[in-house]
Amino acid sequence: MSGFVIGQRDIRARLPHRFPMLLVDRVVDVVPGERLTALKAVSCNEPWYEKLGPETPDEDFGYPKSLLVESWCQSAGVLATWDDPNPDVLDGQVMLFGGMTGVEFHRPVLPGEVLEHRVRLDRRVDDTVLFEGESRSAGETVMTVGRIVMAFRPAEALRPPP
Amino acid sequence: MSGGASPLAGHVEVLPSDDGPATEARFAVGTAETVLPGHYPGFPIFPGVCLVECAHQSALATVPDGAKGAELEAVESTRFTGPVFPGDTVDISLGWKATGDGHWQCRAKLTTERGNAASVRLRFRTQETPEAAA
Repeated sequence: MSGFVIGQRDIRARLPHRFPMLLVDRVVDVVPGERLTALKAVSCNEPWYEKLGPETPDEDFGYPKSLLVESWCQSAGVLATWDDPNPDVLDGQVMLFGGMTGVEFHRPVLPGEVLEHRVRLDRRVDDTVLFEGESRSAGETVMTVGRIVMAFRPAEALRPPP
Repeated sequence: MSGGASPLAGHVEVLPSDDGPATEARFAVGTAETVLPGHYPGFPIFPGVCLVECAHQSALATVPDGAKGAELEAVESTRFTGPVFPGDTVDISLGWKATGDGHWQCRAKLTTERGNAASVRLRFRTQETPEAAA
C-alpha cells in the first residue's frame, strides 16, 4: 500500500473542499472514466470528536455516517473530474451532489481505521454522472452505495439569493 | 440520544405537537457551524450530507415508542433540491412507519424560506430484529 497515484497536493488541485471537510487522503488506483480507489484515515483529532467527554461510550465514537457518505462522494468527485478538474466553486462548471439511493451501513467505523472507498462510474448522461461502489476497512465492507448522482452546473447555480 | 460524533455544531429543535407524536423539527444553520470553513473557503454552503444528518438527528429525537434504540441502517433515498446557506433555518417534517421485521422508515422533507432543500428517506433497525437475535 506504499504506492499511490495522487496525494494531497493533487487532490487539493481537484477538489474545492478544505479542512475540516476535505475527506480524501490519497488516491491509490484509478482508471479514468471507469473506477477509482481512495483512502481516508479516520482520526479522533477530527473536530466531530471534540465535544465527546470521558463518559462517552465506545459506540458513540463511530465515524458519522453522513461523513462516511461525504468522503465516498468526494472520491467520486475526483474520478468525475479526473480529466477536467475544477477546484473553484465560484467559476466554471461546479459539481453538485444531486442525490443518492440505496446507501447501506454495515458496521460502525472507529478512529484508527483506514477507509478504502471504491468508486465505479456507472453512467454519464449529459451533465449528470451516476456512481456506485462501496467502502471497506480491514477487509470488511462497511458501506455499500447503490447509486450516487452528481450533476455539473454553472457556478451561478450555487449563488445565494441577493 | 444522539450524543455521538456529529458534523453538526448546532442542535435540532423538535417542535411540540398538540395532537400525537412530534413530526416537526427545526435546525438553525449558524455561521459558526464546524464544516463551513472547509465547505467552501470564502463561499460557505451547508453540505448536503449535513441535511441528511439533520434528518437523522430529527428522526432520533422523534423516534416512536416501538422503535426505541433504533439505529440508522440505510439512506434509502435522498434528493437535494436547493442549496442551504449559513443563516438559513431548515424546517424538517417527519413521518415514521414500521416496515416489518424490526425495521422502521422515516421520511423527512427539509425546507428553507426559499423552498425545498431536500427529501430524505432513512431506514432504521431496532435492536430486537430477528437477525440480531439469531
